[in-house]
Amino acid sequence: MQTYVVIGLVAVLLIVLEWTRSGMPSVLKPVCDPRVLDRFIREAQDTEVAMVRLCLSSCALSLSLTVPLTSVDFVAWDKKNVQEQAQEVQSGLWLLGKAIDVVRASVSNTALQSMLDNSYSNIHSIRQVIRTLNIQDWSPSPTESASLDTRQVSSTPELFRVQTNFLRGKVRLLLSHAPACHRSSS
Amino acid sequence: MMNVAATEMLCWNAASLLVAVEPEDPKCFAEGMRDLTCFWEEEGSRSPDDYAFTYMYQETNEESSKCALTAQSVGGSKTRYICRLPSVQHFVPLDVSVFQDGRLIYNRNLLIDHVFLLDPPANVTVTQTGEQEQLRVCWLPPALMDMENSMMYEVEYAPTGSHMGKRESVRARSEIILHSLQPDTRYNIRVRAKPDGLSYSGYWTAWAPWVSMTTPPAEMDLLILALCVVISLILILLSLTLLLSYRRFLLKKVWPVIPSPENKFDGLFSVYGGNFHEWLGVGNRGFWWSPTFLLVEESPSPLEVLSEAGFTAPVPVHPMPFKALGLSKKEVEEDERTGGQDSVLMGRRKGKAHPHWVLEQLQSLDQPSVPCCELHTLEPSDTYVSLNYRSQQDSGAMSPLADISEESLPLQVLFESPGTPTSFSDLESVTYSSGSGEISSQSSLEYPYGAWPLKGPSYISMTVTDSGISTDYSHMSWGTTGLGDLAMAYTNEYKNKVPAPRLPPHGHTVYSYY
Repeated sequence: MQTYVVIGLVAVLLIVLEWTRSGMPSVLKPVCDPRVLDRFIREAQDTEVAMVRLCLSSCALSLSLTVPLTSVDFVAWDKKNVQEQAQEVQSGLWLLGKAIDVVRASVSNTALQSMLDNSYSNIHSIRQVIRTLNIQDWSPSPTESASLDTRQVSSTPELFRVQTNFLRGKVRLLLSHAPACHRSSS
Repeated sequence: MMNVAATEMLCWNAASLLVAVEPEDPKCFAEGMRDLTCFWEEEGSRSPDDYAFTYMYQETNEESSKCALTAQSVGGSKTRYICRLPSVQHFVPLDVSVFQDGRLIYNRNLLIDHVFLLDPPANVTVTQTGEQEQLRVCWLPPALMDMENSMMYEVEYAPTGSHMGKRESVRARSEIILHSLQPDTRYNIRVRAKPDGLSYSGYWTAWAPWVSMTTPPAEMDLLILALCVVISLILILLSLTLLLSYRRFLLKKVWPVIPSPENKFDGLFSVYGGNFHEWLGVGNRGFWWSPTFLLVEESPSPLEVLSEAGFTAPVPVHPMPFKALGLSKKEVEEDERTGGQDSVLMGRRKGKAHPHWVLEQLQSLDQPSVPCCELHTLEPSDTYVSLNYRSQQDSGAMSPLADISEESLPLQVLFESPGTPTSFSDLESVTYSSGSGEISSQSSLEYPYGAWPLKGPSYISMTVTDSGISTDYSHMSWGTTGLGDLAMAYTNEYKNKVPAPRLPPHGHTVYSYY
């Protein structure tokens, strides 16, 4: 009983320290650690591989999904400012979340369901990370969503391949160059 | 933007690297974030126009693009065809096709961010850390943006001259400390890099050039030295304590005591300096009255005295002298029984019946052993003196005896008158009645052994053995019958220095008297 009390006190202390630290720009935020996103990326890769194994026979979907474009042209990308990059990332994440949600509803395989659930929560967590980096959350309006750069996929492995590439590329670039993480080193 | 002309000749050893590790054709690699180089090698030397290189990104709906090819002759007969894409897109699959004369020969789908082949790490420096058996290796990460956190490195190090190199992997850091190196050894170190495979992937870079550094020499750690000194001191103390406590035991084992007969021979070494003969002359002779123990140079010559006098009664032998000499009464009686044939008489006479005087006489003979009690049987080679006494009832005139010189007559026996029973107080007192007596010496050789001429029961026979026995007659004194003067006259030193081969057991003195 006493050990639980001690652990609770320590946790409270850590939380308090974390709150106090979050206001200080000089200390690098934990989310700036590239290992945070690397974990998500690794999970996405594992999911993609598992999906390919699961869906050898057929994971064809009856409907097509809208997924973001993952390609990054560094020449063009470097020219964009942070806002544009953030917008691109956030719209892509939104699209991905929606697509996973659609697939999750239509799939009955329990293994597939668990993987889909995991991916959905990961997407949600990444959006949270972006929010902590003082990047404003953005959701496209219905008119904007039509003009987004998207493409259509019709299979679940393809969906997860897109997810992996998106996380590895744009999301990671955004986070690694986030101003909140670089304010101390600038 | 890299110089296109320069890149053509850039690091074609990189191309040879790829040829070794990449099985697919065409081989493509990205040297930076904004380029892609693909090539393949063909036999012959055909024009690049015969080939068509098309590529298409998966996400674009455009038609495939074409890439301009350049040709390079390699190794004599081969030709290398190279395509450099003007712009690339990452994180999106790229589909590449090669046509030869309109015919598809190669097709490959790849991700450009997975085919990085970078330059080796630059500015590799090796320094000593200040600690033993350690070296620090530093290098510059690739200058590519966004690549710094995505690299992994491999460090190879080996002592100079050795072929067994060790490798260490490093992730995301551009320095490493090598441990457990040999002290005072020159090490060669080189580094290579590769994207870590999470965000970006690629091939191992070429090795950076070798860099050498010597490890610091081995130092004796002060703490270890102090501990060794303390432990050795403790061990020395322990061993000293053990040695001191078991000192005597160890001395006995290492240096055993040489046994010395000192304790058995009282005073032999301390007083007489080891002179055994001198030591024998004084004191502790009581221990050595064993006649078989020591060789005697001088022993009294046994004498058998044969008396022709008409002794009717055998003279009883006083038992005391026998006892004094250690003779047993049994032997004395035996001698009486044999009739004096084998009797042996000591060449000494005494007037007094004193056991101690007997001892003195015996000691004065300088003999180690007292004449013992064994009956001595005459050897054939023994000489004897038989004294023939013509009985003359003389009243003790000693005139004939006065003529006798010391040396001419070895022995003179005075016979007691037969009628007088003589009580002999000691063995050596032989009382003889006065009377002339002829002494005739006869060699025992004249008589065979055992055929002793028994001259009659009245004879007292004295046998003098000529066997190298020295007999000291210096202390002889005659019996109480008034022969004291004669005793003085008869100090006869009969010394025969030549030892006989068959020396009789010494000290055998048996007196038999008739």
